Formats: sequence, C-alpha cells, structure tokens
Amino acid sequence: MIQVSKLTKTFRDRKKGDVHAVRGVSFTCKPGQVFGLLGRNGAGKTTTLRMLATILVPTGGTATVAGFDIVEKSAEVRRRIGYLSGETKLYDRLTGRELLQYFGALAGMSGTNVAARIAALTDRFALAELLDVRVGKMSTGMKQRLSIARVVFHDPEVMIFDEPTAGLDVIAARGVLALIDELKRQGRTIIYSTHIMTEAERICDEVAIIERGEILAEGPVETIRNRVPSRSVEDVFVSVVTGAAGGPIDDR
Amino acid sequence: MTARTMAVFRKEVIDTLRDGRTIFAIFVFPFLLYPAMLTLMSWIESKNDEDARLLQVRVGIVGEAEIPGLREWIAATPGVTPVTLAAAPERLDVGGVDAAFIVPAAVDSAIARGDSVRVELLFNDADNKSTAALQRVRPILDNIRQSLTVTWARSLGAKAEASPPFRVDRRDVSSQTDKGRFFAALLIPYLLVFMVAAGAMQTAVDATTGEKERSTLETLLSTAASRGELVMGKALAVLATSITGAVTGIAGLWLTFNVVTKAMPGMGESSTLQLTIGPDKAFLLFLTLLPAAVFLSAVLVAIGCFARSMREGQTYASYVYMGSVFLGLGSFGQQTPALRQFFIPILNTALLQREILTDTVNTLHAITALGVTTAIAALMLVVAVRLFSNEAVLFRT
Repeated sequence: MIQVSKLTKTFRDRKKGDVHAVRGVSFTCKPGQVFGLLGRNGAGKTTTLRMLATILVPTGGTATVAGFDIVEKSAEVRRRIGYLSGETKLYDRLTGRELLQYFGALAGMSGTNVAARIAALTDRFALAELLDVRVGKMSTGMKQRLSIARVVFHDPEVMIFDEPTAGLDVIAARGVLALIDELKRQGRTIIYSTHIMTEAERICDEVAIIERGEILAEGPVETIRNRVPSRSVEDVFVSVVTGAAGGPIDDR
Repeated sequence: MTARTMAVFRKEVIDTLRDGRTIFAIFVFPFLLYPAMLTLMSWIESKNDEDARLLQVRVGIVGEAEIPGLREWIAATPGVTPVTLAAAPERLDVGGVDAAFIVPAAVDSAIARGDSVRVELLFNDADNKSTAALQRVRPILDNIRQSLTVTWARSLGAKAEASPPFRVDRRDVSSQTDKGRFFAALLIPYLLVFMVAAGAMQTAVDATTGEKERSTLETLLSTAASRGELVMGKALAVLATSITGAVTGIAGLWLTFNVVTKAMPGMGESSTLQLTIGPDKAFLLFLTLLPAAVFLSAVLVAIGCFARSMREGQTYASYVYMGSVFLGLGSFGQQTPALRQFFIPILNTALLQREILTDTVNTLHAITALGVTTAIAALMLVVAVRLFSNEAVLFRT
C-alpha cells in the first residue's frame, strides 16, 4: 500500500527562487491495484514518484510505502520497491547476468538466491539471449526486457513506474503493459505515471490528474470517464488541466 | 564493509576493466610509453653524442702570441680548428668561429705591474655548435691559468721554467648504485603520487558523474543500498584502480630500466642506473602510499559527485591531478623538509617516501604525514557521502 498525505516538494533555485514542484498531494494506492498519475510534462509526476522511491526528500507532508515512512524508514522502503523510469538506462559495459547479479546484491540477495531468481525469470523475460551479452550491444527491446527483469528481480511488493513506455515501440510498450497487468494480478501495489491517456485507461484502476504540482481530479477510471459525454479519459484530462471542468474534482 | 559495498566495488571494477581508456592508462601506457620514452631519449642522446663527436668546430684566438702554446693546445684538441682573429668579434657567427679566446695585449707587462689580467672564452649558449666548442676547449682554461701563474711567478723573480706539475681536478666517486639510489629517492615518490592520481581520475569520474550522464543514477538510488554504501564501494574501486595504476607504473619503470636497457646495449649512462629498491622498502612505500591513495580517491569521488557532466568532472579531476603533480614536484630539492610540510597531503607522502628511500626516516615526520593524510582522507570520504546524499548537488543542472 502507498499512502500519501499532503506531500510537498519545493526546490530552491538561485535564479527562479522557490520552485513548487509538488503542492500538498494526497492519494492512496492499494495492493492489487494500478494507480495512475496522469499529467503533462513538468506537472510534478516524476518528482512525486522520486519522493516515493526515496530518491528525493519531501519538504512537506508524509507518505508511507508498504507501511514505512519514506523519510524515517527510507532504507526499508527501498527494500520493498521496484522503480522503473522511461528515462533511466542500464550499464552498457555489464552483461545481462552481471547486471541482474549487481542489482540482486544491492537488494541484499545472496549469490544462491540470485542464481535461482535468474533461472526463475529466464523463461518469463526470454533472458537466455540477454544473460551473456553486454547491455551496450543489446537492442532497445532487449534492454527493456532486461530493465523490467531488473525491477521485479528482488520480488518487490510495491512497483513504481515513471512513464516506462517512453521511447518504446508499440510492441515493447505492450510488453510493459502486459507485465503490469500480471503484477497487478499478483496483488502488488503499483503506481504508474504517464501522459498517454490510452495507457491509463487500459491498465489503471484509479487515476489522479496532476497539474502544476497539484492533484486536480482523482477517482476510479470509470467514474472519471463519466465526467464527460465522450467517456474519454483524455477529454476529462484536457478539460481538467485547462480549467474547463471548473476546478478540482474528487470522484472518490 | 557490507555486502552491498562489495557489490558496488565489484561492479565498478568490472566496468573499469572493460573501459578501453582505463585499460590503456593503467596497463598499456606504463609498459609501452616508458620503454618508448627511454628508447627515444637514449636514441636522441646517442645521436647527439655521435653528432658532437663528428662535429668540427672553429675556435678563434685574439692575442695568441700573449700566451705561448695556446694555439697548439687548441690545435691538439680533437675536432677543433684554431683561427687567428685580429679583434674580438661582435658576433661569433660573423667572425666565422664557434667560440673565441680573447687574450688582452701586453699580458707580461700587465702582470709585471701587478695589474689584473682577464682572459675570456666567448661562446653562445643558445647555439649547439658553440656549446660543443666550449666543452672541447674548456680544459684549456686550466692550461691558461697555469701559464699566467708561471708568468706571474717569473715577474716576482722565481725561476719557473715551465708549468708546475700539479693539477686541481674533480672525480665522481659515486657508483651506478649510488646514483640509482639518489635518482630513486628523487623520482619514485613523485612518480608514485603522480601515478596514483592519474590512475584514479578516469574511474572516479566514470563511477560518479558517469551515473548522472548515463541516466543510471535514479535506478541506483532507488535500490536498498544506502548512499554511504554506494560511495564507499565506488571509492574502493577508485582506490583499487589508483593503486593498480601506481603498481603498473612502477613495474613499467622497472621493466624499462632493468630489462629494456639490458636488451638494448649502447643506451646512455643514465639508463644503466640501478633503480632497484628492496622488498622491505617497496612494502613501506606501499604502506605510505595507501593513505594518499585513499585521500585522492575520496577527493576525486567527491568531485565526481559534485560535477554535473563528465566533461565538468574531468575538468575538476584534472585540477586535482595538476595539484598532485605540483605538490609532488614540491618534494624536489627539499633537503631538510620542515615539519609543517608534513601537514600537506601528497607533499608529505612524497617527502616521507624520500626519507624511506634514503634511510633517513624521522618518526615525527612519519606519524604526522600518515596521521594527517589518513584524517583528511576520512574527512573527504564523509564529504563524498554527504555530497552523494545531497539531492541539490546530485540533481543540479
């Protein structure tokens, strides 16, 4: 479970002064559900997810991930999360096996467990062709498979996906979405940020629309969809972020 | 040392070993560059010697009649042709000579009067041929002194028929081993700190700033490893690379001086120096080098954490490298270093290593150097961890 309460992040910038990237965001993401964070580029999605992944420290509010406070128990949080961003890359000079061994070790897995986990994931992610190839020599699709294998490698209970399909072709993007469906069925807690509304409609159970660091609308996808005659999340999103909906909506 | 730190260390070492630039700097460079440099220097030295041997120089004489035998002495010098000049030339090349003895007129009467007599040997230090001429005729200055002394003695009534049978000379009694020890004490401390800094640079920037530039930082920071574990693992890898760089550097030098020179007869005298040190001293050098290597690794990792891009990181690292070279050079010519110099990292290591190599270790110097460097190295590691934990630094753009 992820529980976020009035989470705030303000960056100090010499030229711009205080930049309020996230302003008092609150939401709850339950196990077995995919919670979608929808927003334009720069809306505050990545900053929110980075705080949940304990990469950034909030300047206000609180959040717990898997029952642990993201500030007070950040190490416990990191043990229980898998974080994947569309922008993050892998180490070109490592082979697939070395990469998984590295992240397995960082997650605290023993050598035996790492080997067993590689064997267990080999079929699911077609790792056989990746294990002994250096990442730098892999195709984009191969890297994406390896990235996903890396995220689930230590079997985390909470998954944080920050625009994971960014830059992927249709087939690779479908593979990512299929995996998220699978993880959801396994009962994991999943938070997923995107600016692609069709993706949100397809995989999310609940969504929050974030704009300029604030959540303007939140609720189950079906309820959100019903806000407009077209029953399109994209239309709701446009109307909310352009103010056409007449202010914040909470459809919980 | 946690398992996660060791995992980071292993990963960084693998990464480093697969980076062609580091491999070249650590393993290829010392075994290729040093022998190549020595071979080139020896070849240039041999060629210069050969050219100088074959070189014919012309040495002018103004007032040759004033000193009996002067022309004969010059003529008897191999490769030198005496040329009589009427007056001192304004420029040697205009006078058609490479050097010139200028003897004043009426030397005998000047000496008899008790006046000062000045004989000059003109040469052009900016001209190879002229300096070669100087080298060849320099011994003749002794003959001139003796001749003038005889003239002076006669003017005082002494019955001196010829030059007195004495000679004031100098003789180098050092062995090649002595010279080798001297050069080792001068050169090795400097080379060690220089090589440690050079070996650490690439890995430090790659392991820290490289994470930002390759967009792998976020993934790393979201793992269960703490920032301290990550920094320590990276610093250990940088340390291992820097020590390896120093060891391969010294091995390259040893190979050059002990194998390459023996395989290539005819190299200059300097190349036959015995630049060997015993295992006990090698061990002590290694021990003293460790804190300095930790210090440099920590500084470079801290800088790497701070830098925004690889280019910026490499620029900062090159400043550290130049600083190390500068401090290492500071150890040259310090015959009796003051205690305060042992408070300066890098310089203190170079000075202490020189004391080890010359068997003049001062306990207070050793304690100060090792203590100060270790303390500052620990402080720099703390700074590196702080920087790696500071999101304003990590994510600054």
